[in-house]
Amino acid sequence: MVNGAPKGTKLIVLPSRLVERLRKPAGRQGVSISNYAAEALEQALRATGLGISIQEAVDLYKIMQIQREAGAVQISRESLDRLIEKLHADGGEDLRAIWLEAGRWYGEYLRAKLKGDGVLGFFEKALLVSWNLDEADVDEEDGGVRLRCTSFMMSPEKTELLINYITGVMLSLGYEEVSNEHLRGMVLTRFRKIENNRIN
Amino acid sequence: MLAAEEHIANRVAELAKRRGTTVFQTVNEMLEHAVRIEEMGIPLKEVVDEREVLEKARKLGFTFAIERLMYELIDLANLRAKDKTSEIWLETGRWYGKYFSSRSKDGIKEFKEAMELLSFGNSEFELKENRSGEISVACVGERLSLVYSDLLSKFMAGVFEAFSYRPIEKEISKGVIRLKFEKLR
Repeated sequence: MVNGAPKGTKLIVLPSRLVERLRKPAGRQGVSISNYAAEALEQALRATGLGISIQEAVDLYKIMQIQREAGAVQISRESLDRLIEKLHADGGEDLRAIWLEAGRWYGEYLRAKLKGDGVLGFFEKALLVSWNLDEADVDEEDGGVRLRCTSFMMSPEKTELLINYITGVMLSLGYEEVSNEHLRGMVLTRFRKIENNRIN
Repeated sequence: MLAAEEHIANRVAELAKRRGTTVFQTVNEMLEHAVRIEEMGIPLKEVVDEREVLEKARKLGFTFAIERLMYELIDLANLRAKDKTSEIWLETGRWYGKYFSSRSKDGIKEFKEAMELLSFGNSEFELKENRSGEISVACVGERLSLVYSDLLSKFMAGVFEAFSYRPIEKEISKGVIRLKFEKLR
């Protein structure tokens, strides 16, 4: 930083190449390069304060745009968990059917929206955000997919419903379940490609 | 040269120090990212706002659900355990009302701000207080199902009960919730 700035400000040296790049977006917004850069720095600092990089924030933004277009509602976790617990008391068959069907619909939506472009990668990130998971890995291996999800807070009922949801999504993406291991809050599932993309 | 407000410049300098880099490198990196994002047609402020909204929703105990799944779940609940489902929404509302009223003297304002951040299926949320102290709540969204609209109204009733308000008007139809509350004397 350089001395000699107006009161209440400090001068920061910028490379001329960057100044040239700033000129266009600043012009689009009808502000000076200095104002544009100051606002950009402010936002970047906000992101840092939230504990994420700008790139992570952008990834999340893109996910949320698609989730909102797919129809996303926010609900209190407490209400949702109590409702699931109540309705699961008789075995949960209806709930499993709802989650499976919702998964199939979401998988179809992703297929149509992303047109196969990075669908599995997107699904991995969407799982993390939408299901409040601590970890989610969706890896392609040997012509199939290995999917691993972990949540330290998830009830056994919700874990079971998550499996149904994932199975529904993967069916729509053209994969069938080969194996499935799960414990409370942990799901490890393997899928293989359905031949000729035949979906039952 | 960029003339940056002192508090921003100082925060950048602190960040650079934490990262073990120079201010020049840190500023360069931040602005490069910002320009790249804007070039993708994404406003940087919206990106950070989105992240902040999610963080606030998470802290408030809210989670995202696919609208379609939620409506089917609620329809099933309404069919199989209507009273219990209503009770869950009312109780959750009471909990949030208590939470916001105990957080600050301006709990209703905080509740309003929180609700405006949350998304109830592409709906518009409005909370207004008139001169006589009555509070009007409106939530309008084309995709809100009737059952979900009714449950949201229960949630609101629970919230305002905790703020010592009682309902005086109620209009619920598919996609529309209009409620009015007055302060208990």
